[in-house]
Amino acid sequence: MNGFQLYFRLIQISLQGHMQYRANFIAGILGLIVWNVINLGLIGILVTQFTSLNNWTLWELVFLYCLWILGHSLYSLFFSHTNQLEDYLIEGTFDQFLLRPASPLIQLLGRELQYNEIADLLIGVTGLSLAYAQLALDWDGWKWSFFIMAVLSGAVIVWATNLLIACSAFWTGRSRGTFIIVSPFYGLVQQYPVDIFGNAFRIIVTSLIPVAFINYYPALFLLDKLDYTSSGWWLSYMSPLVALLLIGIVSRVWHLALRRYTSSGG
Amino acid sequence: MKIFWSFTRQAFQFVAAYRFNFFTEIFLILLRMYGVYWVWKILYTQRPGAFGVDLGQMITYGVLGMALEIFMWSRPQMYMSRQVKSGAIDTDLMKPLDFHIHMLARSLGETLVSLGVLAIPALAIAYFVLGVNLPPDVWTGMLFVVSLGLGYLVLFHLNFLLGSLAIVTLDIRHISWAYYSVVRFFGGQMIPLWLFPPFLAWLAAVLPFQSTYFIPMSIYIGNLSGPEAIQAIGFQLVWLVVLVLISRLLWSWAHRRLVVQGG
Repeated sequence: MNGFQLYFRLIQISLQGHMQYRANFIAGILGLIVWNVINLGLIGILVTQFTSLNNWTLWELVFLYCLWILGHSLYSLFFSHTNQLEDYLIEGTFDQFLLRPASPLIQLLGRELQYNEIADLLIGVTGLSLAYAQLALDWDGWKWSFFIMAVLSGAVIVWATNLLIACSAFWTGRSRGTFIIVSPFYGLVQQYPVDIFGNAFRIIVTSLIPVAFINYYPALFLLDKLDYTSSGWWLSYMSPLVALLLIGIVSRVWHLALRRYTSSGG
Repeated sequence: MKIFWSFTRQAFQFVAAYRFNFFTEIFLILLRMYGVYWVWKILYTQRPGAFGVDLGQMITYGVLGMALEIFMWSRPQMYMSRQVKSGAIDTDLMKPLDFHIHMLARSLGETLVSLGVLAIPALAIAYFVLGVNLPPDVWTGMLFVVSLGLGYLVLFHLNFLLGSLAIVTLDIRHISWAYYSVVRFFGGQMIPLWLFPPFLAWLAAVLPFQSTYFIPMSIYIGNLSGPEAIQAIGFQLVWLVVLVLISRLLWSWAHRRLVVQGG
C-alpha cells in the first residue's frame, strides 16, 4: 500500500465513523453555511452603503473571501487534523504512529476527514461563480490555469503554515498559543483586502505568516487590479512558489522534529 | 445570596487560574480592534460623516464591539452540554441553589474575570493608541452601564435557552456556530443597525439581539439619547422579562426529560 492509498483508506474509516451521527452531519453543514453567509452579508452591507472599500467593490470582495474559503476548505477537509498534533505529543500517543510500518505524517493526516467543510467548498465555488458572472470576467486559458494553481497553492500554504506551527510543539511542548495568535491574522486576510491595514500588517502576512498569498495577491492579478508601477507587483504571481518553498521547509522541519522526538511516556 | 456569590467566586477563581494566557489574549483583542479601526477609517475617508455619525464615534463603536465581545459571552450553554454529556449534571441538580440561578452565578464569575482582566486593560490601551471617545457626559455613561447590564442578562438567557436545548439534543456544538453569528449580526456587534437595508433593519429591531451590543453601544457613543435611549432600555427590559419566563418554562420541561447516563 503506498502513501496515497493508505491515506484514503484511513479517511474512509473516519468518514464511516462520522456517518453514524447523521443529524450532527447536517447540523454541521448548516452551521457553517449560516456562518459564512452572515460574514459575507456583513461585508455586503458595508460595501453597498459606502460603494467600495479602498476601491474594492462588493463582488471583488466576495471573490477575495471565496478564494480564501476554497483553498482553505481543501486544507480543512483533508488535513485539518494537523492542528491536533500537540495532543498526541502531550499524551504520548504519538508513539503509535512510529510503531506502525507507515509514514507518521500520513497516519496523522488520515486521522480525520472534516466532512462538514464540504459546506465551505460549496460556498467557495458558488461565491466565485457568482462573482465571476457579476464582474463580467472573461479569463483566457492562462488565467484559468493560474486560478487553479492559486487555489491549490492556497491549500498548501495553510497546511504548511499550520504544520510548522504544530511542529513547534516538538520543541516547546505547546503549539496552541501560537495557533490562537495567528487566528485573527487569518480572519482579517480572509475578509478584507490586506492593503487597508497599513504596511506593518502587510509585511507580516506576506513574510512571517504568508497567508496573503492564499487570496489577496492572486486576486490582484485575477481581477486585473494589479498596478505594475508599484514596487511589489510581482508578488501577485508568487503563490505557487511560496507553496513550494513552504513544502521544502516543512519537510526539513518534520524530519528534524521526528529525530528530536522523545516520548512523554504515555 | 451568600450561596450565589460563592458560586460566582468559584467560577472566577477557576477561570482566573486556568483559562487563559494574559498576553496572548490581550494581543488578540488589540489586533481585532486594530482591524476594525482601519476598516472604518478607510470607509470614512471615502465618505466623511456618513449617516450622521463622525469617524471618532464610529471607531469607538467598532472598538467597543470588540471589547464587549470578550466579556458579554459567558458560556452556560457549553457548561450545560458538557455536564449532560458526562452525566455530571446530577451533581449540579443536587446543589443547594436553583439550577438557573446557579448558572447565572457561574456566568457572572466568568464575565467579571474577562471584564476586569482583559476588556478594561484592552480598552485603556485602545483609548491611548486608537483614540476611542469617552461617553459625552456622566448621565450617558450611567445609562450605558444600565443598558450593558440588561444586555448581559438578555444574552445570558439566550445562551441558557440554547443550553437547555442541549439536554434534548446532546450536541450543540454545530448549532452554536450558526447561533453565534446570528447574535453578532443582528446584535450589531460589527456593523450598527442603521446601516442595514430596510427589511433586515426591521427584523433586527424586533428580535432581542440588538439588546446585546447595539443598544448599549449606541447609547455610549451618543447616537441614542434622551427619550430614545430610555425607550431602548425599556425594550431591553421587556425582552429580559420574556426570556426569563421562557427560560424557566423550558428548563422545567427539559429537567423532566433529563436522562442521566452513568454519572
